[in-house]
Amino acid sequence: MNTSGSDLKKIHKLLNPESVAVVGASNSKGKVGNIIFEGLSRCKARLYPVNPHEDVIAGYKTYPQIADLPDTIDVAVVTVRAEQAVEIAEQCGRNNIDNIIVVAGGFAETGERGKALEARLKAIPDRYGSRILGPNSLGVFVPENNFDTIFVEHGDRSLAEGGGIAFISQSGSVGVEALGLASNTGFPLRAFVGLGNKIDLNELDFLKFFGADDKTDCLALYIENVEQGRKFLEEAKKVSSRKAVIALKAGRTPTGATAVSSHTGKLAGSDRVVSGAFRQYGIQRAFDDEELCDAAKALSYLPPAQGNRVAVITGAGGFGVMCADYIETDSPRARLQMAELSDSTISRIQEKAPPFASCHNPVDLTAGMTNEMFINTLEALLEDAGVDIIVCITFFAPHSITDKLIDQMATAINDSKKPVMVFTEYGPFTDTYLKEFYKKGMIGFPSLTRTVKAVRFLVERGRILSALEEEA
Amino acid sequence: MSSTSIENKVKKWHSSLSIPGKPNEWESKGLLNSIGVSTPRGVFIETGNSLAPDGDVSVLGRPGHRVVKVCSGNILHKTDQGGVLLDISENHLPAAVAKLQKTFPSAGVLVEEMVQYRGSEIIIGALYDPTFGPAVMVGAGGILTELYKDVSFRLAPCTRKEAHYMLEELTIFPTLQGYRGLSADIDSLAGTIERAAELAVHLVHRGCQLDINPIVWSQERWVALDVKVVLT
Repeated sequence: MNTSGSDLKKIHKLLNPESVAVVGASNSKGKVGNIIFEGLSRCKARLYPVNPHEDVIAGYKTYPQIADLPDTIDVAVVTVRAEQAVEIAEQCGRNNIDNIIVVAGGFAETGERGKALEARLKAIPDRYGSRILGPNSLGVFVPENNFDTIFVEHGDRSLAEGGGIAFISQSGSVGVEALGLASNTGFPLRAFVGLGNKIDLNELDFLKFFGADDKTDCLALYIENVEQGRKFLEEAKKVSSRKAVIALKAGRTPTGATAVSSHTGKLAGSDRVVSGAFRQYGIQRAFDDEELCDAAKALSYLPPAQGNRVAVITGAGGFGVMCADYIETDSPRARLQMAELSDSTISRIQEKAPPFASCHNPVDLTAGMTNEMFINTLEALLEDAGVDIIVCITFFAPHSITDKLIDQMATAINDSKKPVMVFTEYGPFTDTYLKEFYKKGMIGFPSLTRTVKAVRFLVERGRILSALEEEA
Repeated sequence: MSSTSIENKVKKWHSSLSIPGKPNEWESKGLLNSIGVSTPRGVFIETGNSLAPDGDVSVLGRPGHRVVKVCSGNILHKTDQGGVLLDISENHLPAAVAKLQKTFPSAGVLVEEMVQYRGSEIIIGALYDPTFGPAVMVGAGGILTELYKDVSFRLAPCTRKEAHYMLEELTIFPTLQGYRGLSADIDSLAGTIERAAELAVHLVHRGCQLDINPIVWSQERWVALDVKVVLT
């Protein structure tokens, strides 16, 4: 099915339901139907447990079957096994339920029997107009309204503050594991959607939905196969003129059934074509889950870089040197260069720097640096027209540096349109600091390579935007 | 060149092939010429014919060294099978043609001018990707192309601007731009990529592939020295 205006409304209901039925809800601790139902009790939607063997679940009146429900249902979460799930989904269709989330696996991926079940499921959207998410879907999580159908740990408490990133994942576990890890240091999540086997709703539907959603500022996708390849790309290009689209495309498929007898065919595999196509249509390609989350966080939080000239502030010479090396290492994503600082910037830094400091890029304020020196340097770099992006290598170990620096940095950075990234070496207190940065509107990473990779994403984003503007 | 005119040319070309569905190099080069891509001057000697004593080769320009190649839609890897003879002087030409005719009795023979060049060998290719459809490629060409893998892809059609981006992604890009005194017309190469992409849209159905390898900068123009079109 193709997404039309009325389908976007249905997807809106899928993520913001007023009434939810949980089929297979249960009182037995540890059962999927129990975990999901308990999770949902935190949201404001009217809840209807469906289970023929129970009368009351967690204090809610329980209905034997879908047809008995006394209300219009926006979303039915089907937590029962594959065979039963098809039956239930058909009942949902007959009862005009707009959205059905099928959690169970055991469909086409398991063989002939599963394929037959999947075919029955596939017929439902066309026949009844219901939309299906899944099967084999972990469901959705929307921090804004606490609507959360995920039954495994996914950092939901840390992610509760919400944010602008729509995270759309074909694999549920890749999605939630990545989110769980990212949530330790803060991650601005608009919504998580687990696509599963995509028999109906797929990445294109959610690209359209979140592309049009004002509260989304960045889309992060994990996909293994792309449905409707060209349409997906064309939609992504439209979206990317307004918000960043990052995709991790895993799984390399053979070029085709026919023998490959050309150099072009042998060189293509499927992967180089994907990279080229993504680049052509404004999609930023990530190559692992860490990169996907880091890039999404940076692109959601920070302005794109207007150019590729990077300035570095450090208190530790070695990290400054390494950082300069990373910056000048070639990368197909974006070539970076160390910015050449203007004379006035250098003398401004010198005025307050310790005697042995190096006031050229990378600016090394040495272990003698103080909050004041650091902020003075940061402000000078923010105002230097020859600098497009700044990396702060910050340690909170030297006695001359105090925690107040975080607030002072945040003030300087949040007033500027220039992106600033913070690296702080991983140690026992790092996550606390990174989370503190995040709360104050700054992005930090516990590794220099991750920091510079994220810098490249911001430069790539800047380039995509200017190419799209030129085209328009 | 409009898309419909390329479409018509491709259709006409399809129906003109001597072995249906299996174009030979001479025919593939003819297709490129029709969309404005240069190839070396050449003479095609059909199966069983022999090289005319003077007439034929005069179209190859002033006397000089020649390339002699077996030319048949049935032979895809002609170098591997000893079907390409390089640097043949005018005197040795009849013997070279006869030699290939003896080795490949049912194939034609192509005699071409030996194009002089010193810059990079480039490959331009096209194929049909099962997910995204027709795509175009450019990269470091020649016999080591699969070793270096210095290539860049885009989907077809592909704008000239995008073709410039593809070239800029290549490690060998500086060799088009003055590196060690090497330079070439970059915009003209981008234009060739754009046209190859247009061709890909009409030519490349599922499983089909196009290799222009190498295409070189010689005497102020890009010349496609070898072209292979695989249809299915």
